[in-house]
Amino acid sequence: MADYNKPIPDPDPYTTGPFWEGGKQGKFMLPRCTDCNRAHFYPRNLCPFCHSSRIEWFEASGEGFIHTFAVQHRAFGGWADDVPFVTAYIDLKEGDRIFTVLRGVDATKPESIQLGAPVKVEWDKATDEVSIPFWRVVG
Amino acid sequence: MPTNPSMAAAIVGAAESNKIGYIEEGTTATMLHIEAIKNACELVGIKPSEIEGIGAPGQASFLAEYLGIHPKWIDTTAVGGCSFLMHVHHAMAAINAGIIDIAVVSHGESGYSARKNRNRGTFRAGEGDPWNNRSWFEAPYGVAGPPSYYSHAFTRHMRQYGSTQEDFAQIAVTTRDWATLNPRAVMHSKETHPAGGKITVDDVMNSRMISWPLKLLDCCLVTDHGGAVVVASAERARSFRTKPVWIAGAAESQSHSMMLEMDDFTATSAAASGARAYAMAGMGPREMELAMIYDSFTVTAGITAEMLGLTKRGEGPSLWEGGKAGPGGSGIPVNTNGGGLSFSHSGMYGMMLLVESYRQLAGMAEDGIHGLPGKQTGAKSAVVNGTGGTLSVTGTLVLVSDD
Repeated sequence: MADYNKPIPDPDPYTTGPFWEGGKQGKFMLPRCTDCNRAHFYPRNLCPFCHSSRIEWFEASGEGFIHTFAVQHRAFGGWADDVPFVTAYIDLKEGDRIFTVLRGVDATKPESIQLGAPVKVEWDKATDEVSIPFWRVVG
Repeated sequence: MPTNPSMAAAIVGAAESNKIGYIEEGTTATMLHIEAIKNACELVGIKPSEIEGIGAPGQASFLAEYLGIHPKWIDTTAVGGCSFLMHVHHAMAAINAGIIDIAVVSHGESGYSARKNRNRGTFRAGEGDPWNNRSWFEAPYGVAGPPSYYSHAFTRHMRQYGSTQEDFAQIAVTTRDWATLNPRAVMHSKETHPAGGKITVDDVMNSRMISWPLKLLDCCLVTDHGGAVVVASAERARSFRTKPVWIAGAAESQSHSMMLEMDDFTATSAAASGARAYAMAGMGPREMELAMIYDSFTVTAGITAEMLGLTKRGEGPSLWEGGKAGPGGSGIPVNTNGGGLSFSHSGMYGMMLLVESYRQLAGMAEDGIHGLPGKQTGAKSAVVNGTGGTLSVTGTLVLVSDD
C-alpha cells in the first residue's frame, strides 16, 4: 500500500521493536512478564503490574472485544476523507487494551454497535518497515 | 512533625486579564499572564515584588524573570487544565512548611488566537519526540484532539448506566443559564455572540456532531484567557483588604495519562482526590454549598459530579436535571460563571474555576462586571475540581469562607 496517506508510526527498535516486526508478518505480538505471567500493552521495559524487568514476547491470538467506541465526524489529514469512522478501545483476549479504527461496523448507526462484540486484528502495510494493526468485528 | 495544612493558607484575591474571550487584536499569552497577575495584586493591595512564590504550567520561571522577581518557590507543574489547582495545593503545602508566605498562581493562554496565528512567531507545533506511545498507539487512528477521546467515555457511560445524550445535554443548558448572568461570558447573550443566550436540550441535540455522542454544544469553547490568584499564609491573609477564602482541603491524583491506559471509562481520579480533600477539610459532599466542576465537555462534568459524591454512580447528570444546579435552582449551584461550556475555556480551564470560586465565597460574584443580579449564591463552602489530559489527572480543593 505505497499510497498509505494517514499518520505512520515511527517505531523505536527497543521496547516496541518485536511488536512491529511481528506485524510485518501478520503476527500479533505482546509482551508478557515472566515473573507474574501477565501480558501488557503498550509495550514497556518493565511490567506495569509487578515491576519486574523480565519481559518476553509471545504471539497472541489477535482476538479481543469492544470495550467502548466513538464515531469521529471531524478528522484531519488522510483521515478527513474517511469521516464518519468508528474508533474503539479493544479489550485483548490475553488482557489489557489497545486502540484502533474499527472495521466491519456501520458508522452511521452507532446504536447497532455492541460493547463486548468480538473483534479480530488485521494488518495494513503502510511502508516496507511498518504495518499498522486495525480490528474488525467478526461473527 | 508534619501538621495538617487545612486552613494554613487562603486565596486572598483573584482576577482575570483585561481582555478575555475571542480577542482579535492586541494580546499575547504572556500579556494575559502579566495583566492577570497585576490585576490580582492590585485587588489584594500588594506589589508584584512581594510575591515569594510563583506557579504556572511550564511558564513559572519565565514569568518570574519577566516580572523581575526572584521567587523562593517555583512550580511549573503542567498536567493539563487542572494544573492550577495543583499549584494551589503545592503553595498551601509550602506555606504550611514555612517556606513562603505569599504566592501567585497564574494562567495566560491564547487558545483562540493561537489557531489564527499558528504560522506566526517561531513556535511550530508537532515537533515532539516521535518515539512516544501516543504517536505509535493512538495518533495513527484519526483522533483529532480532546473531544475525539472523551466521546469514548460518554459511550461507555450510556451503555453501562443507561444514561442518554439528552441527560448530558441538560448540563449544557443549565450552564448556559449561568452564562446569561455573566456579562463577560462569551455566550452571555446575542450581543456577545450570535449563538449566545439561553439554549434548550433540542439545541444541544441538533448541534453539529463532533465525535458521537459529543455534539458541538457538549463541547467547551476555545478562547483567549488570563487569570491569577494570590495565595497567602493565614497570618498574612488576615492583613489584606480582601476577604480570605480558606483552603480547607486540597489533593490531587492520577489514574492514567493516555486514554489507552484508562481502566474504568466511567470513573476518574476525582474520586481519590475528592476523598482526600474532603478528609483534610473534615467535611463531606453534603456540606458543600457550591460546586465548581471542570466542564471541558458535558460528560466530564457529569462523571466528575459522581466522583465527588454529589450524585450516585451513573447518575451524574441528575445534579443538573430540570435546572436544579442553575440560577435559583433547588439543588447545589454548579459552575456559576457559565463554565468552560459557555463562559470561557482557553485550553486549560482550571484557573477560571479558582477565580469564580473566590468571587462566590468572597461575595464578589455580582459586581456588575463579572456578574449580574441572581449570580451571587449564599455559598460559604465549595468543592472545586479540575481535570487534565484525557480524564487523566485531577485536583480537588475544598474552600470555605469566614462565618
